[in-house]
Amino acid sequence: MLKIQNLDCGYGRMKVIDGVDFEVGTESVGLFGPNGAGKSTLISAIMGMVKPWKGSIELDGKRIEGVETHTIARMGVALVPQERELFPGMSVEDNLVLGAAYIPHAKDGIPEQLEKIFALFPILKERRTQLAGTMSGGQQRMLAIGRALMSKPRLLILDEPSLGLQPSIVTEVFEVLKGLKSSVSILVTEQNVRESLRAIDRGYVLENGRIVLEDSAEGLKTNPYVIKSYLGL
Amino acid sequence: MVVKRRTAFIVALSAAAVVALILWKPTVLIYGLQAAGLYAAVAIPMGLVLGIVHIVNLAHGEFMMVASYAAYFGCRALGMDPLLAIVPTAIVTAVFGWIMFQLTIRRALKAPELNQLILTFGLAIAFTQSINLIFTSQTYKMPLDYVSASMDIGDLTFGTWSFVFVAVAIIFAYGLQLFLTKTTTGKAALAVGQNPRGAAIVGIDVYRTYGLVFALALALVGAMGALFLTKSAIFPSVGSPFTMKSFCLIAMAGIGNIPGILGASVLLGVAENFLRAFRPTRDWAEIVFFVLIIVVILARSLKGRKS
Repeated sequence: MLKIQNLDCGYGRMKVIDGVDFEVGTESVGLFGPNGAGKSTLISAIMGMVKPWKGSIELDGKRIEGVETHTIARMGVALVPQERELFPGMSVEDNLVLGAAYIPHAKDGIPEQLEKIFALFPILKERRTQLAGTMSGGQQRMLAIGRALMSKPRLLILDEPSLGLQPSIVTEVFEVLKGLKSSVSILVTEQNVRESLRAIDRGYVLENGRIVLEDSAEGLKTNPYVIKSYLGL
Repeated sequence: MVVKRRTAFIVALSAAAVVALILWKPTVLIYGLQAAGLYAAVAIPMGLVLGIVHIVNLAHGEFMMVASYAAYFGCRALGMDPLLAIVPTAIVTAVFGWIMFQLTIRRALKAPELNQLILTFGLAIAFTQSINLIFTSQTYKMPLDYVSASMDIGDLTFGTWSFVFVAVAIIFAYGLQLFLTKTTTGKAALAVGQNPRGAAIVGIDVYRTYGLVFALALALVGAMGALFLTKSAIFPSVGSPFTMKSFCLIAMAGIGNIPGILGASVLLGVAENFLRAFRPTRDWAEIVFFVLIIVVILARSLKGRKS
């Protein structure tokens, strides 16, 4: 599905991503690493928000470096950004509808998809007329995930979905992700490695812009380096 | 409770002022309302561009001036009434706006807003001076019979044509409100204004949406450009006061509040005509909008501090 080869990118003259090779198939993949490792930059590059300096990004065999963000979204890649990036002055329902309205393969089934999202996150149904900007952080995160799912994505990317959420909601979010695994490819970046290892099949560890480790979820769980650096045991 | 009492007080005070004006100086109210219609109809398209997608366009009034010139010479060449030129002028101005957007404003969207300010200020000067060079500073006026229509109520005689602008302003305001809340493109425009990054993530072509909204606003400006010929003579700097007044009205209504522009316009129109009704204050009418905007912004910031 997604294949990144020998990717370099950064901001100004500062290189943030340095020769990264990375792949997501029909599976659920985690991308771990400390603050500043380059996780969000890598995602920005996939979404066409940061232009790669070198290397290639392929989506189903098509090169997408330099393609605009909205085109990548229309190709079936949905992002749940760290900052959520909702439309604060619009209702929950309008936010969700806009998640699908401009996606060619999703815009015809909006009412059905809306019901599915409401079944997944009942709180969004209760608050469908509330303005997105007036909801709590956790509810906004659910709305951002719901909005991404409205587009019936083939690849769902979540950037730090647990950041700033209370533990009970983090568990709920990862339960939802686990349930989605069978229907969509997932790429999730996280600092909360323990919680996310339960929801993924495979993971990469990114440090200082380089991939330093790649293994299955089971392998990462027992890897001494991961245990010491990320699981804090 | 306190808020309710205050609202009731403001409503009662406004009603009392209206009744007093009707009894004492009815023309102030009539001409104030007519002026308000014109101001609002010009300001509402700017309200869309500034309030919804946050593009600062200091050439707003000048775009209308250019549209008026186009409509005037088009009408004269074809022997047409300006009312028939409304739709063609709207289309031509929208296309012109789209091209100007792609050539200039689009390039400044990612830069700080000051760049848009300088860029569109430059456009305003360029438009005014180009028209000045081509047509000189001579004024042009369409001779039209129907604009001198008048009405008598008791001893009072007043012109009625300018009420057309009131109708146009109401149509613009509620039409745009429907567009923004009921159509997908309108919602996309709101989304782009509230969060361009978020909009791109959900597949909205952000620059196309900016361009569309700008062209839509310019279509309304173009329609007003043709209609303006029924109200006033045109000359190269005829548009610039409308830019300032539109800014003032949008600030008074609150950024993004399109129907609010109607109310703000009534306040401005009546205030101007009130001052114009008395000899000693007549010359102050043109600058009353400065006073109003200061009062409204002060009141709003005091209210904000309290809450």
